[in-house]
Amino acid sequence: MIINLNGRIDSNNAAQVENDITEQLSGRDGAPVEIDASGLEYISSAGLRVLLRVRKTHPDMRITGVNSEVWEILDMTGFTEMMEVEKAYRVVSIEGCEEIGRGANGTIYRIDRDNVVKVYNNADALSDIQHEREVAKLALILGIPTAISYDVVRVGESYGSVFELLNARSFSKILANEPERMDWCVKEYVDLLRKIHATVVPEGKLPDMKETALSWARFVRDYIPAEAGDKLLSLVEAIPHDDHMIHGDYHTKNVELQNDEVLLIDMDTLSVGHPIFELASMFNAFIGFSEYDHDNILRFQGFDFETGSAFWHKSLEAYLGTSCETKIREVEDKARIIGYTRMIRRTVMRGETETEEGREKIKMWTEELLGLLKKTDTLLFSRNELELEAVKENLDEVQLFVGERIEEADCPPKAQMQIAVAVEEIFINIASYAYAPDKGKATVRVEVSENPVTVTITFVDHGVPYDPLAKEDPDVTLPAEQREIGGLGIFMTKKIMDDVTYAYRDGQNILMLKKNL
Amino acid sequence: MDYTEKIDLHMHTVFSDGTDTPEEIIARVRESGIGLFSVTDHDGIKAASAIPPLLSEDGPAFITGVEFSCRDGEGKYHVLGYGYDPDALPIRKIVERGHRLRIKKVRARLELLRTNFGFSFPREDIEELLSQDNPGKPHIANLMVRLGYAASKEQAFADYLNRMKFNSEYVRPEDAIRGIAESGGIPVLAHPCYGDGDQLILGEDMDRRLRRLTEFGLKGVEGFYSGFTPRLCRETLSFAERYGLYVTAGSDYHGKNKMIAPGDTGPVNAADAPEGLRRFLADVKIING
Repeated sequence: MIINLNGRIDSNNAAQVENDITEQLSGRDGAPVEIDASGLEYISSAGLRVLLRVRKTHPDMRITGVNSEVWEILDMTGFTEMMEVEKAYRVVSIEGCEEIGRGANGTIYRIDRDNVVKVYNNADALSDIQHEREVAKLALILGIPTAISYDVVRVGESYGSVFELLNARSFSKILANEPERMDWCVKEYVDLLRKIHATVVPEGKLPDMKETALSWARFVRDYIPAEAGDKLLSLVEAIPHDDHMIHGDYHTKNVELQNDEVLLIDMDTLSVGHPIFELASMFNAFIGFSEYDHDNILRFQGFDFETGSAFWHKSLEAYLGTSCETKIREVEDKARIIGYTRMIRRTVMRGETETEEGREKIKMWTEELLGLLKKTDTLLFSRNELELEAVKENLDEVQLFVGERIEEADCPPKAQMQIAVAVEEIFINIASYAYAPDKGKATVRVEVSENPVTVTITFVDHGVPYDPLAKEDPDVTLPAEQREIGGLGIFMTKKIMDDVTYAYRDGQNILMLKKNL
Repeated sequence: MDYTEKIDLHMHTVFSDGTDTPEEIIARVRESGIGLFSVTDHDGIKAASAIPPLLSEDGPAFITGVEFSCRDGEGKYHVLGYGYDPDALPIRKIVERGHRLRIKKVRARLELLRTNFGFSFPREDIEELLSQDNPGKPHIANLMVRLGYAASKEQAFADYLNRMKFNSEYVRPEDAIRGIAESGGIPVLAHPCYGDGDQLILGEDMDRRLRRLTEFGLKGVEGFYSGFTPRLCRETLSFAERYGLYVTAGSDYHGKNKMIAPGDTGPVNAADAPEGLRRFLADVKIING
């Protein structure tokens, strides 16, 4: 039963309105009643009491189409707590509006200089809007700069939420129009990313990205050889739970510059999880999504594939705090595993296997994925750890990586040089003997502890067990021609460092060098 | 008096704009299981003398009541008075003054209708109108319909009565409050959040209002009311506490005129009476049959 209210209701006509309603409702006690208030312009407290009395006989009464003035009155007086009140939504047209962002759940348009509207794709848009509002509020409380929607509007058959973005420009736009600002964008973009990833989220407040990634892996398992499929799943399963925030769709359209402030938008994918999930979605946004068709990124971000690739690479470099290519490639490969898994699933889900292009894409990604799975044993990564082929040619990479890490610890130049000497000794040793005549990998880990400031560099290899400390120190008092060849390097290392220890565990040589700064 | 009993301290009879006679309202009160009631007719105290002789020993108990419509430069108010002596001179004077102002207003309205629209009213109809206890706009509207000047009561209001604005005199809240108190009664602000019934007075506005009225001697607020939401009830009760006021509970029952059940004192149970309601029931003069 729908009852229409129109115009004004105040003490002059409240009695009449009440009579009308009573007449319409007579004999319908207890039946569901909807009060359609779309024609209601104003209601005084005399009118409110009429609504209250109707509700007494019809407890499931709903009021719909309420304009914002009337809604304010109903809200202020506690009516919205007592009964279901549905607001009338302002109608907004997006015809001719600039699209400034597109995410998993909706598209963002600029409706005027200072306002944008995010239009939701889903049928259940109102609950999506509610979800996004809640997570955006949570992010703001946790210190992440973001915009919170202030109004919900009707856009065609769907709903949108309106945000104020005062004179804001997305990073995509800046990259497209001012390529010279690339390095500045990278810095700001990575600073914000680090801030997001350093934010601890109270338990249960945000969905766990691992669950989503597991569902992708389970899906894709059926489309690749069993062994690879099982490995993919076990790699994702081995990622530990992480209660730090990730954005989930962190590309340059979702980072806005408003005056001098960098803002994160499009918050509906906000989750918790290991940063590798974030890097995977970033890889897709800048590379994976456009690998088959390089024009994709131009259409989506407004800049070309080369710009996207450069931005991705520089961002990863800055995020990891290293220009060591081996390290960057290692983490990128892990990101690609999850990235390709997601792309394969998405393409299948969208029914693109029906098209030649869809099948080509899946074939390409699957080949890449299988190659990556073969050489990867973990999706975890650490900023402080470098794994690489133990060959002499890689010494420069190792020195670069260790140098960057100890630079961060404000290491004095003299100690830096000493550490470099020790690192060279040890790495060349491993490269020369650990796997000879074969080749193998070595891991270098740099840890800095405070109070007192100490740098610990750990070398790990899987080569033949060898304790370099077991060898007796050479007698350096002998004249040069009488000394034994070799052994001098490890002797120098012991002298330079404050502590050198060796252990053989789980088939690994572990050599630990400590230097107090 | 046991405060957990069902009470209704805000009801109207035929002496104002209700439809029940004194006998009928007592019957309705009894049927509804109400143990204590008060009749608070608009600007009239006839029920205060008419009801007590009709009470019986097995209840319900009664409190004399009135609801004065007041106004001053700051706004409009409905001031309830409870437990006064209906023979006391101060309250009689306010009722008489109110009645005189009302008659004056009706005359002024009829005169405006005549000069502005050319509607004339037969002498006997005017006599009849003015002889009523509580003549006002609704009565004029009825008359206009009967005489064919308006198709309906609503049209009479919308097209004529509500368009004629003129300055008139009103009973001031301080006069009503003092008159009630000087007659042995307790002055209480009716439905505080709703002002004179058509407004919304919340937060600071309510605070300002109560600060002034308590200076005049206001002693209580109607904290439980059929037209309140839980939020409005809580807000009123918190003001009562802040100002140390009595709390009352009423429905604003009007007989067949409004769909308000006797004893409906709102969504919050008045039986969980706050201290202000208990004090009121302990201090107000209650008449048993």
